[in-house]
Amino acid sequence: MTDILKKRWVDYTILGLSVFLVFCLVFDAYIVLPNLVAWLGRWHPLVLHFPIVLLLIAAFLGLTGRPIPHRLLVIAVLSALLTAISGFFLGKEVAVKGNLLFWHQWMGGAVALMASVWYLLSDRGLDRTVYGKGLQVVLIVLVGFTGHYGGMVTHGEEFLALPTSKKQKEIPENPIVYTDVVARILDDKCVSCHNANKKKGELLMINMAELLEGGKSGHTIVPGEPLKSELIGRLHLPLENEEHMPPEGKTPLTDAEIKILERWVALGASDTLRFDQLPKSEPLVALIKGLMEPDPMSKWADLPFVADSTLQNLGSDYLTIERVASNSNALSVDVYLPPEYDAAAVVAMERIAGHIVELDLSGLPIGAAEMDFVAKCQNLEWLEIDKTPIGDSELEKLASLKNLKFLKTYATSITDKSIPVFENMKGLKNLYVYQTGISREALEKLQAKNPTLSVNYGIDPEIEAFFVAGDSVVVAK
Amino acid sequence: MKEDENQKENPLKGNRRHFFSQLSVGIGSLALGSLLIPDLFKGGNAQPLTQPLGIPHFAPKAKRVIYLFQAGAPSQFESFDYKPTLRKRMGEDLPESIRNGQRLTGMTAGQDKFPLMPAATNFKQYGDSGTWISDYFPHIAKIADDITVVRSMHTEAINHDPAITFFQTGSQISGRPSMGSWMSYGLGSENKNLPSFVVLTSRGKGNSQGLYSKLWSSGFLDSKHQGVLLRSGKDPVLYLNDPDGISRSDKRHLLNEVSQLNKLHHVETGDDEIESRIAQYEMAYRMQMSVPDVMDISKEPESIVKLYGEDCQVPGTYAANALQARRLAENGVRFIQLYHQGWDQHGNLPNAMAGQAKDVDQASAALVMDLKQRGMLEDTLVVWGGEFGRTNYCQGKFDPADFGRDHHPRAFSIWMAGGGIKPGLNYGKTDEFGYNVIENPVHVNDFHATLMHAMGLDHEQLTYKYQGRRFRLTDVAGNVVKDLLA
Repeated sequence: MTDILKKRWVDYTILGLSVFLVFCLVFDAYIVLPNLVAWLGRWHPLVLHFPIVLLLIAAFLGLTGRPIPHRLLVIAVLSALLTAISGFFLGKEVAVKGNLLFWHQWMGGAVALMASVWYLLSDRGLDRTVYGKGLQVVLIVLVGFTGHYGGMVTHGEEFLALPTSKKQKEIPENPIVYTDVVARILDDKCVSCHNANKKKGELLMINMAELLEGGKSGHTIVPGEPLKSELIGRLHLPLENEEHMPPEGKTPLTDAEIKILERWVALGASDTLRFDQLPKSEPLVALIKGLMEPDPMSKWADLPFVADSTLQNLGSDYLTIERVASNSNALSVDVYLPPEYDAAAVVAMERIAGHIVELDLSGLPIGAAEMDFVAKCQNLEWLEIDKTPIGDSELEKLASLKNLKFLKTYATSITDKSIPVFENMKGLKNLYVYQTGISREALEKLQAKNPTLSVNYGIDPEIEAFFVAGDSVVVAK
Repeated sequence: MKEDENQKENPLKGNRRHFFSQLSVGIGSLALGSLLIPDLFKGGNAQPLTQPLGIPHFAPKAKRVIYLFQAGAPSQFESFDYKPTLRKRMGEDLPESIRNGQRLTGMTAGQDKFPLMPAATNFKQYGDSGTWISDYFPHIAKIADDITVVRSMHTEAINHDPAITFFQTGSQISGRPSMGSWMSYGLGSENKNLPSFVVLTSRGKGNSQGLYSKLWSSGFLDSKHQGVLLRSGKDPVLYLNDPDGISRSDKRHLLNEVSQLNKLHHVETGDDEIESRIAQYEMAYRMQMSVPDVMDISKEPESIVKLYGEDCQVPGTYAANALQARRLAENGVRFIQLYHQGWDQHGNLPNAMAGQAKDVDQASAALVMDLKQRGMLEDTLVVWGGEFGRTNYCQGKFDPADFGRDHHPRAFSIWMAGGGIKPGLNYGKTDEFGYNVIENPVHVNDFHATLMHAMGLDHEQLTYKYQGRRFRLTDVAGNVVKDLLA
């Protein structure tokens, strides 16, 4: 073995490969590879790891003044040349080379050629000079950059970016379906391969024109015809299928995302269509809304832990405390009228007051004590105090509840005096006040001040009259 | 060997040597297992494989369901699916290109002609949503903007019993838990003094099909999830009230003593079923107070009585049950199932259907409006519909004044309101003959998945292992119809 490597033909091989590499790099544009040679390029990802490790070890030994085994250097240099050449072959598969690939190719070539020079120097015993050491330092840096660029070509430019909580672009109020929704999905799931640097299947998915242009397999999208669109077809293939996109190992699209793309294509794949132009019954409306609405649970994610045993201790046969959802510390509380009612059971929940987001006290003989407790439930969004004896003075205590969205106060003795309390509840969406002392005029004023509030004042008298009038079904004869 | 004999006698009698030899096999098989199943030892830090019971999987839109089941299958052609083509082509034979080999029941398979029959009544559009509703349902027409009509329902069964069993349990063959039982199993009870699944039945004058308690059975789930049939009249729950001569304090005494004995037994055996039995006794005791209170509609004001119609004062009518349903919902019952029988119009449809509609129209609409004014439509889901549809052709003699329609599983209409469902939506379409679904089909499994989603349950996660495999309400099918969700 040792003898073989010391023979002259090793020198010739290294020289020959170096010349071939230079030739490839220079005449890049004129070279058309035969299939079998192109296939050799596929071995690039396998062999590339050898020169990285071997060159680094050799350079490390050289820089620390230790002898570099001749065999190590020969194998390192040969593998560097083979890697660069196979890399060049692989690069030919991409029609247009992007920035990343361009730099990767030239730096890779430089690494291989510098390694050859190193071999030449060591042959002459010059590798311990300043030139040799300088060369080794430059090689270490170049190997690092080449490897990094290569990694970005295969895994995407963002691959090594710090794991920020990957925040997708927010969808605006009235999104353009293509720009704000469709492109967002494509950017997230497709563009890491179908970009200017990789262009898998000769398809770019970075803008509308390129999408319509299509790729190797033909029409990526046919506006109005999802069944003929390659994109939609591939998304629907079973995961095991070779043709399924995204390929194995990449995050597949969710059902909703596939449906969005499908409906968008079916509607003509417009790049100007806006959300509010969609008809109400169009499935896209619900799908896009689903993307726009933040997870309702996230706002309660910061609530401190509350133990099941606490809930059990505070609850009873007439007081149900439930988590809003599993893994949530937000609570929903329902209180039913026991044979002997005592305000203490309600007030005892004070230690979990901050956790309660829904509270149902309807039909209970509650008074000031309970309302003082309610005022402490700062995260309360949903409150039912209908059919209770509370009046204006008790209701006033709710003024401190800033998150209230839903309030049932029907069949209570509140009057117009409570209107200012409602006015100050900026987030209030639904208010139920029928069978109270509140006048219609006061409600109209409230409604005018807070147009997003829906005030329910009972059934429309006209409709009620229709119902009271009795049966009007005409039996056909 | 002696060791083995010892072991057989009592598993705790193994010795140290035995323990280690068993241990090595155990560790070996664990290692092998971890190679075969990479996630074997993965902690539950991501999505747990099984969700805890009694809590929604995610924040629900609806906390309870009122299901107004129209047993016998009301005709979509006289209710919500307006097909003017049937009038234009009245009496013509149903084109084979439309029927396309669809199987028929024995009742019309022998007919040599299938003459198209138009609606026995007129249709108009109502509300901002422009929902087509027939003249048989003038009150439901008033709430057109509160309801969502799904005209693209389809099912697999063509006869009543398998179809209604399929609708209630997700399987045509009886024995699976009813959807109310699944909800009770998945979400637990909101009010511990009432059952979480309650059934109320009523019957119209039309042709009826049987209702059986298997429709609200808990199947293989714990029997506490079974639907409780509340009867009309003095004894809503059979055997709930104390017999003559037994006072409530006597009963309390009895329960205390029985519970003492049961607790002793529990200490001895450690069987958790005993604890749940004690709890059931206690709940029945509380129900003696809560049930009569909930069922007593005498306290309802006159305006409410008028809203539901005078019928609601007659126990056992649909109107009375609808009002009852609201009271049960107010008291935290999760799933309230009404059945109204008499919708099986194989003949005499114009008359019988008008009668059936009269039974349910006002009370159904009143229920939705009443829930709305109480803010309960926000978290209560109301569903109205039957087990399948009816044919667009006439059964028997062709006579527009007196005809029938046969069973039709390929397309029918239901409506839903409240509880996280979009209001005022017209969803799904049938062809111009009303025979096949041509847009947005909703299978019964999809319907179940959607209902569970509204209640905060993932239909694929709520499972019960029985006879060696896990069961779901939707078994191996079902997709949530997101379009319907608000």
